[in-house]
Order: sequence, then structure tokens, then C-alpha cells
Amino acid sequence: MAEILAGLSAVLAWQVLGFLAIGVCLGAVFGALPGLTATMGVALLTPLTFWVSPEQGLAMLLGIYCGTIPSGGIPAILINVPGTPASIAASWDGYALTRKGQAGLALGINALASTTGQLTSIAFLAFLAFPIASFALRFGPAEYFGLTLLGVSLMAGVSGGHVLKGVLSGTLGLALALVGLDPMTAYPRYTFGMSEFLDGISFVPVMIGLFGLGEVLVQISDRQAARASAAAAIGRVLPRIADAKRMARATFSGAAVGTMVGAIPAAGGDIGAVIAWEQARRTSSDGDSFGKGSLSGLAASCSACNAAIGGGMTTMLTLGIPGDAVSAILIGALLIHGIQPGPLLFANNQAFVFSIVFPMIFASLLIMVIGILGAKPLAKVLSIPAPWLWAGIIVFGTVGAYALNNAVTDVWAMYVAGIAGFLFRKTQIPLGPLVLGLILGPLMESNLRRALILSRGDWSAMLTRPILLVFLTATLLSLLWPLIRARRGAAKRSQGRIPDA
Amino acid sequence: MRHADTICGALLAALGCALIVSGAGFPAGTGGLPGAGFFPQAIGALMALLAAALLVRGLRHRSEGPFSITNMREVAVTAALLLAYLLLWGSGWFVVRTAVFLAIMLSLLGQRWIPALGYASALSILVYLAFDAGLNVTLE
Repeated sequence: MAEILAGLSAVLAWQVLGFLAIGVCLGAVFGALPGLTATMGVALLTPLTFWVSPEQGLAMLLGIYCGTIPSGGIPAILINVPGTPASIAASWDGYALTRKGQAGLALGINALASTTGQLTSIAFLAFLAFPIASFALRFGPAEYFGLTLLGVSLMAGVSGGHVLKGVLSGTLGLALALVGLDPMTAYPRYTFGMSEFLDGISFVPVMIGLFGLGEVLVQISDRQAARASAAAAIGRVLPRIADAKRMARATFSGAAVGTMVGAIPAAGGDIGAVIAWEQARRTSSDGDSFGKGSLSGLAASCSACNAAIGGGMTTMLTLGIPGDAVSAILIGALLIHGIQPGPLLFANNQAFVFSIVFPMIFASLLIMVIGILGAKPLAKVLSIPAPWLWAGIIVFGTVGAYALNNAVTDVWAMYVAGIAGFLFRKTQIPLGPLVLGLILGPLMESNLRRALILSRGDWSAMLTRPILLVFLTATLLSLLWPLIRARRGAAKRSQGRIPDA
Repeated sequence: MRHADTICGALLAALGCALIVSGAGFPAGTGGLPGAGFFPQAIGALMALLAAALLVRGLRHRSEGPFSITNMREVAVTAALLLAYLLLWGSGWFVVRTAVFLAIMLSLLGQRWIPALGYASALSILVYLAFDAGLNVTLE
């Protein structure tokens, strides 16, 4: 208890709260602009923290981290362009709600579910850090392979009724992920002798192109529909009590999934959000509405991608292992301030642990307030004349893609992906699976091959690992579930219980 | 729409076959371990199989006709402008170049010249200040 109070009193200084608020506001800007990521924001502002006390500097960095991810959902909801990779799943239901004239409600749910996800994962961090971290440590290459295989198997689920095309789109994403150096032997594959392709195809420009530029071209093509959606009402911001009750299960299960996935090094909020969304869809009695503006679907994805923050911080603080790129930079910042993350931090300096927990709590509450109060003004973006909005998306997307690596090849990747996104939409090929394949492909390949090296090429030896078996079973169920649902639906129709669609 | 299925199926089936063939040319693994060509071949096989299914589905429903793109002229002009903007990337005068590109695009999309030019200029300056001056991203 004394440690908790000491941690709280260290945070309650007005300077610390001020730096925290600055960090949250900067994070909100970084998240809302496609191409600017939490990693970039934390990296850019880390040097500034050397001029202030560790508490103030850390509060600002945590504020940026906690502010970026929720605000990444704002462009995903309003204009179908995810602000961060973690917000991809939020666009599936969020943008559908905007098209229905419920942009305000979508933004409100984004704010509430994001904060719920963050607070839940922070509670896990404060009270269950060691069990979670030790579970995450049991993940070897075989288990990572199982996790990514499960993620890939969700392609069918996120295909929105076009299962065959969705799985093909995901396979195309896996194929694009092959470009670059072979992860084990560094043999160049599909680089066509160009050094720019040695690092592979970065998925952020592809994501901006597919969802941003592709959407702009579709709206130019369907100008009548674009005008109708622009004129749509913003609607209420806060959900009704009954809606909140319906979303509660998806929100909290999303938070649990996001925390666990976030705790696994290299598996971040993007993977967690997709898994949580699909899990919520399967367990919902209204699963057919997912991807078409489901409140529960939006809540599950927003909650999960934000819960991954606490999960990643848990692994970072307890084991000293960075869960993602942001955590890696945060570890560097902590080391510079003379703080060594790892098991001894929890044993020797618990007050400091709570001086991390409390800023995260304040930051997540502040971003919720900003999100709710800012929902109506932000949704006014929809009343901007559509061509002006398209110009903004194109220029911010282009410069955002370029800013990632200061490389014009990323802009080319974005533009090619934009044209592909346009054609895919016109031919009803789902885009989500392609990005999923592009993100998960390298992880799946490298971990399978590492696992096989460890088992000396013996595939059957991998099946003795219980966590992998759980993932393989879940993958099998995930693949069979659409068939089971279809058979059950057909059986019900034949009995005349539900009308044929 | 089924016409599109046929085209997509054929293209992706060809891509899948190309992955299988090219994967065979990559170095093989040693000691029973998969080499650099294992994943390209596995993904290529999966893609070819799924694409063949899409192709067959498309051929079975050929009578349903091709898909159409409305406002094709505006889409093509926007794509051409984007290509020109990209080809001129890094040639200097970022703010002026971007403002002119956006103003032309907006006017071709039916916006009046003067407001379009004003908005395009303001947007270009804002982006320049945010990224070049604020985030140290060199925009030339």
C-alpha cells in the first residue's frame, strides 16, 4: 500500500500531470494522422525527456503511447483510413457506422472501449504482471507459429461474406510478404535486383494505400454515394445503457485477448484486435452484423488494440524484453534515466512501478475525455466537401508514407496499393485479409523454420508442445466454423424455422 | 461481377504457378529443414488452388456480365495526376508543386479554381510545416 501511495504522490505533481497532458495531446495528433505511428512519436520526443525529471519524461512518453492508439481509430471510423496498424479492425465496423449516420456513436464507443481496454490491461500490469509475463515467456518459435497460424486462419472470418475471395486476398498478402531477404538464410527473394526491396514491403504504406487512396478513388467513382455519406448525420456520441450492456462482454473479452497478445513479444495490437474481433463475432448471437456496423465488433477491436499497450508494458517491465518497437524505445529511455527494467525492478522499486501505472491510468482517462468531447467536432470532418477531404487524405497519406523511412519507394507502394485497393473494392475482394497476410507472413515463416531447426527438422516433435496444440485446435475450429454455421443454417432453413435470405 | 472473378482467378492462378516455379529455383534446405523456396511454393500452391476455384466459379456464371467503373474519366485523371506528382517527387519546391497538383485535381473534380487554389496552398503549407519543420522529414 505504501508503494501505491508513493507512486501516486510522485504522479500528482502538477509538472508531471502537465507533461502527461502534453504527451496525450501529441499522441492524439500522431495517431490521427495516417503514417505517423506511436513508435515515431515516442522516438522523436524521447530526447526531450532528458531535460526533465524521470517522472516527467516518462509521463510524457506514456501519454504519447496511450494517446496514439485510441486516436488511430478516429480516421479509421470517419474516412476508413486506419491511423495506426492497430486500428485496421476498428475501420470494419466503425466506417460502416459512419456510413449509417452514426459517426458520433462510433467515435464515442472508440473512446470508451479504448479506455476500458487500457485500464483493464493496466490492472493486469499492476496485479498480475509476473504470471502474465511468465506465460508469455513460454512462447518459443513453435508457439509463435501457432499464434500466427491462428491469425492467418481468421482471414475467412474477416472476409465479410466473400470467403473464397477473402482467403485469396490473404494469400496474396502472404505472397507480398515473401519479398525481401529470406528470414533464415538472407537469400534475396523477389527483389528483382533492387536494393529498395531487400527490407521487404512495409505494410504501413500498403495499408494507407489500400484503405486511404483506394477509398478516395472509389468515392470519386461513386460520387453520388459519396455525397450521400457526407451529408449523413453525426448522431449521438454516448451509447445507450442497453447498448453498453450488449457491448460489455465483447469489450472485456477484447481487453483480455489484447492484454495476452500484447504481452507476447512481437505480437501487438494489430494482431490482438483482429483475434478479438473474430472471437467476438463467433460468440455473438448477432455475428452476421459484424463488419456491417456492429457496436460489439467495434468495441471488441478498440478494446483489444488498446489493451495490448498494458500487455506489452507488462513484458517490458517484468522481464526487460520489449514487446514491440515502442517498448524497445521506452526501455532505452528508462535506461538513460538510470532505471533497469526487469524482475529486480518489481522486487526493489515497486513505487516506481506504480509511478508508471498511475500516469497510464490518467492518460487513458484523459484520452477518453478528449475522445468524447472531441467526437462531434471531429465528426464535422464529414461535412467538408468531399473533394477537399480527398485532397487532404491524398497529401497526408503520401507524406505520411514517405515519412516512415524517408523513402520514395514507400510512396510508390502506397500508390500501387491504392489502385489495387480500388480494383479490389470494385470486384468485392476484401482488403482486411491482405493486410493480415502481409503482417503475419514473415512472423509465420520465420517462426516455423526456427521451430524446425530446434526440433532438428522433426515436424512431429512440435506437436508435443501444449500451447501449440491449443493454437492448432483453435485454428482448425476457426477454419471449420464457417462450414458448421452454414450447415446449421441450412438445417434450420430446411426445417422452416428461419426464412431463406 | 463474375467476369471479374474469371479475370482475378486467372491472374492469381498464374501468380500462384509462378511462385511454385520460382520457389523451386531458390536454395534448398539442409538436413530435412525447409529452404528459402519452401514458403513461396506452399503459398503458391495454396493460391493456385484457390484461384482455380474462383476461375471455375467465374466461368460457370459468365452470363452475369463484367463489372463497370462509373466516372471512369475522373478516376483515370486522378490516377494520372498522382503518377505525375510521384514522378516529380524530390524535384524541389514541395509546397508549390503540391499546391498546384491539388488545385488541378480539385478543379478537375468540379471545384472552383480560386477556392481550390487557396485550399490547396493552405494544405500544402500546413503539411510542410507539420512534417518538414515539425518532424524533420525532408520534403523537397
